Amino acid sequence: MDRSQPAVVVEDLHRTFGALKAVDGVSFSIDHGRVVGFVGANGAGKTTTMRIMATLDSPGSGRVCMGGHNVVHHPAKVRRLLGWMPDSFGTYEHMTVLEYLDFYARALGFKGADRLRRIQEVMDFTDLTPLADRMSNKMSKGQTQRLCLGRALLHDPQILILDEPAAGLDPKARVELKNLIRILAQEGKTILISSHILSELGEMCDSLLFIDKGRIVHHGDAESMVRGTATAGETLVNVQIAGEPARLIEWALTAPLIKIEEETKRGARLRIQAADDDTLSGVLRRMIQDGLPVLDFHREERRLEDAFIDMLGQIDKNTFKPPPLPAGLPQKNAEDAK
Amino acid sequence: MNVALTLSDFPDRLSPMVVKELRQGLRTRLFGGVLLTLHLMLVLLTLMSGGAENAAVVSGWFDGIVTLVLCIIMPLRGFSAVADELKSGTLDMLALTRLSGGRIIFGKWAAIASQSLLLMLSILPYVVARFVFGGLDLFGEIAALFYKWLAGVVIAAVIVALSTQRQFWMRALVVFLPLMIGGCGAFSFIVMSRMGTGTSSGSMFTFFTKSGGGSALLVAVGLAAWTIFFFLSLAATRIAPAASLLSVVKRSVHLVMLLSLLLLGWLTGSGADMSMIAAVALTLLMIDVLTERVNEVPSVYAAFYQRGWPGRVALWLLAPGWVTGLVYSALLLALVAVYVGWTRSVDEAKLVAVSASGTWMIAALVQLFSTRRSRDLLPPFIVFWLFVNVVIATLGRLLVMPLAMKSSTARFTFALPQLLPAGYATAQPADKAALLDLGVLTACVWPVILLFAAMLAWRHARPARQEGWRMVHGQKGGDAL
Repeated sequence: MDRSQPAVVVEDLHRTFGALKAVDGVSFSIDHGRVVGFVGANGAGKTTTMRIMATLDSPGSGRVCMGGHNVVHHPAKVRRLLGWMPDSFGTYEHMTVLEYLDFYARALGFKGADRLRRIQEVMDFTDLTPLADRMSNKMSKGQTQRLCLGRALLHDPQILILDEPAAGLDPKARVELKNLIRILAQEGKTILISSHILSELGEMCDSLLFIDKGRIVHHGDAESMVRGTATAGETLVNVQIAGEPARLIEWALTAPLIKIEEETKRGARLRIQAADDDTLSGVLRRMIQDGLPVLDFHREERRLEDAFIDMLGQIDKNTFKPPPLPAGLPQKNAEDAK
Repeated sequence: MNVALTLSDFPDRLSPMVVKELRQGLRTRLFGGVLLTLHLMLVLLTLMSGGAENAAVVSGWFDGIVTLVLCIIMPLRGFSAVADELKSGTLDMLALTRLSGGRIIFGKWAAIASQSLLLMLSILPYVVARFVFGGLDLFGEIAALFYKWLAGVVIAAVIVALSTQRQFWMRALVVFLPLMIGGCGAFSFIVMSRMGTGTSSGSMFTFFTKSGGGSALLVAVGLAAWTIFFFLSLAATRIAPAASLLSVVKRSVHLVMLLSLLLLGWLTGSGADMSMIAAVALTLLMIDVLTERVNEVPSVYAAFYQRGWPGRVALWLLAPGWVTGLVYSALLLALVAVYVGWTRSVDEAKLVAVSASGTWMIAALVQLFSTRRSRDLLPPFIVFWLFVNVVIATLGRLLVMPLAMKSSTARFTFALPQLLPAGYATAQPADKAALLDLGVLTACVWPVILLFAAMLAWRHARPARQEGWRMVHGQKGGDAL
């Protein structure tokens, strides 16, 4: 795989189904070894985009390259680099876990002892070895997801596309899956993962792609998203002091860039008209220099879900200002989203 | 945990898809149940076959049961073969392996054929026992058993091809409707169950009765292999990725096979028989090539442009899509019509042309009435084909036959290409030539409509061709494509 280019490049991708624009000018790129979360409501265009990336659907127009290979022109080369885990899939009747993986290993070109060795590695990694003789269609949802991940990993792909891998899993299975993905990320695999459980994506991913109505509306890291920099450019800070909270209120009324959001029992919630670390630390320094007995000063972070819903609300009201997309890519769809 | 895994039931050289299907298929209750029931019944029949007075009845039952298993029950196992994979999403996962559409379909079919072969081989001891105790013609019975298996695997190929259609009702309609109409089911069953057992003297194809057993067997096996290839490649086209060049292989094989058939007819002096087989084959091939979606993948066209002017010529015949399929079908029709005219008569050549136009008519209706969203043109084609055939059967029964009984000519049959052969066959001798000429003239409407639709579709795919040209020749040129 050519590592001089990004692992994934999607440029001005369009896909329509009759009158429905499922994907409407999507552009983004993912560097090698990055874990990117793909977020959007149902019908936003996530699965269609992922299916095109996985060579399972054809783009209406635009260009998609995986590992430097165009998905339309060279699907076979792309497939060798790619592990795909769909949002819904079936297993086979009358087939054990071992036979299931053996079939896919054969289909991927593994032969003889090499095949069994690779199956063994994958089964150990996904903790499926104790289930080797279990019928593949008689397993729990979590076990089935692990089997599907194992299948996707058989040929040691460099790029993984995981469409809602945690959907329908109980908390324990979700943690297990998250751990597996974390290990894969540490191995340097490029992973695009879609999920509705945004808090988990925030923990696992280096950056997040938000898609709405077939358009990318945000591409950035989860931290900036929860702090609100991506949408509002201001920060909420919760401050507690020793003694009377009135001192803090008095101080805040005279300080520049600060508004009182809410008085609390031992302090206040302050809205600071900035989001960068330097400004925030400067505010704290000034408080201490001015003699305020600060006990607690922490930035309030919104949940990703709230940030996402805020963003969708702003898009509906046409007040959303998207951050610039990564350099070198067409900026058109972000502007369209206004 | 590290436990040494062992799995050595099937060798590496077997296709992965065959291994998978056999692993699943041999474990199903249906296979086990059929195997046990079949053997139980054959044991009973073998025990009953000692007396000469009931030999014919026992033979009838024996053939009937074996035919039921090999030609109906086993092939029907492929009824949902691909549809189930499509519905459960597993076909996507298969597509991401190194298995091509062709290998997936072949594996589905080969597993059914292998299981049928297993059943057929398990029947052989009963045939020998019946030879020992009942004095039957051993080789004749073995040949009959082989022909039944062959017919069964051909039917399995048809059913596996149909299983690429998601809709259950469509598959059921195509499989069961022909069996149900007019007691056709019982008739087919009787014909199949006595197939190869010495009743072929009345065959419409004299080649199989005139020539020696060896040649007939070879031709029968060759035709069966071609038919299987046709249906499996038809199915593979439906699930292959857009960038696939399957149509090149498929159409080349069909062209070679058709030419070989015509050549065989010329060499063996049985051109009349072969021309009829070729006419039937022509209809099937036209259905396949006229239901391919127009390809809009530049690399597909680039593959042709890379080969210079021969590639550009080949593109018009072999590139995927119904537009080139129209050119290809016109070439095949020209070949077959000339051959039929040469070996049979000019009138029959005209009838072949009109019949082919009937297929063009359905393709034209599909282009006129199906939505642009239809990715696969085969389902609407099947719907129109069934509809037209129901109309023709009704018109034939209600109008053509009563007119024929009154010694009148059903002149209106010129309007529908599919109905013209019936009108021509029952027409008064004096009217035949005029009816046929009028039919040919009317039939020309359909290829013209199709040609117009093809020009629009070809124009729509122009950006893809231009991009393909640029992939080969750089940024220059491609404007004239």
